[in-house]
Amino acid sequence: MKKLITAVVSLGLMIGTASAGTDVGADIKAFQGYFKKQNPSVEFADYTIGVYALDAGSRDQFEEILDGIPPYEEAVEKGGEEFEKFGLGKCSALKDPAAARLAHPYYDDAAGTVVTLEGTIRRCYTEQTGKKMGTMKGKIARISSWISDQAAGEKINVKVESDGAKAAYERGKATFYAKRGQFNMSCADCHVYNAGKKARADILSPALGHTSHVPMYRAKWGGIGTLHRRYGGCYKNMRAKPLMAQSSEYRDMEFFHQAMSNGIEISADRYRK
Amino acid sequence: MKKILLTTLTVLALSTQAADFLPSAHNWNAGSSGDAFSAAIGAAEADYASALSASMAWRDTGAMIKEAKKLHKAGKVNAATALAKKAHTQAINALAQASVAGSAGPSF
Repeated sequence: MKKLITAVVSLGLMIGTASAGTDVGADIKAFQGYFKKQNPSVEFADYTIGVYALDAGSRDQFEEILDGIPPYEEAVEKGGEEFEKFGLGKCSALKDPAAARLAHPYYDDAAGTVVTLEGTIRRCYTEQTGKKMGTMKGKIARISSWISDQAAGEKINVKVESDGAKAAYERGKATFYAKRGQFNMSCADCHVYNAGKKARADILSPALGHTSHVPMYRAKWGGIGTLHRRYGGCYKNMRAKPLMAQSSEYRDMEFFHQAMSNGIEISADRYRK
Repeated sequence: MKKILLTTLTVLALSTQAADFLPSAHNWNAGSSGDAFSAAIGAAEADYASALSASMAWRDTGAMIKEAKKLHKAGKVNAATALAKKAHTQAINALAQASVAGSAGPSF
């Protein structure tokens, strides 16, 4: 029985992996076109502010918060100091922080894996200090925020070119659309098909533009957290067991997720409810 | 009528006797129910492990398995077995999700 289950699961995974007809351009067109059709009055560029593009009342509150001193400002500044302190600029991949933000995530053909910005920061930190760094909050989130700030205004442009990259993209896509957990819901169920609608007191944010302002400051967290921390929170909400931040599944999903926002500007306005 | 009376008296006599020689702390749920627990918890653990390796496990299944073992240890075999069966059902459902996850895609 166990063998049968494993075989069925493996077969299911193989179908996704072996998808030969990957057309990232068509996927992006369909994905972004869906949001355009759903919200014809929302400007494409406004998706960088996420849920605030869809709800006027929430947008007013958001702008009021940004008019003052945003609660993450100090942490992001500290991230910049830490970037210097730990000598992260000595690593070639982070020498130009703005370029580093734009280059990630990417598929490393030699390593056969998706490399995220946080992955590169952690590797570099270990090279420079001999210590390990976390994956969800604290230093990693502050430094990653500061690096992202350097690329504010630039457009997301994930490239999916090699066969390996396409396979990783397809795996990430399947993870994004797969139903999971006790609620039997996918990421897309909330953030694509029901974006802009209410789930209890909260308005569901659109997946388009999600990755433009990460790491994000969340009032709920009272601090900054990485995209993978948010993935974990969403999994928990769906009553699925969260995966490890920076696991290959989450990295592949980030690769797909970020590609769907190609053309959206990176934003330093990282406040979210 | 005589037969019914005789059977009733025999059952009563036997159950009184049985209650006498057993310690007061005896777990009346043990025996065949204990086997049911072993089967249920074994199945739950095996399928949960498969769901974990497919990265599709549900949030509370692990905690349910732990709680079921705790209940069993405390002698609450029926409750433990019921919880183990629930955990097993969760793991089966997670594996059903895993079987189609690889081919998931948009519906627009």
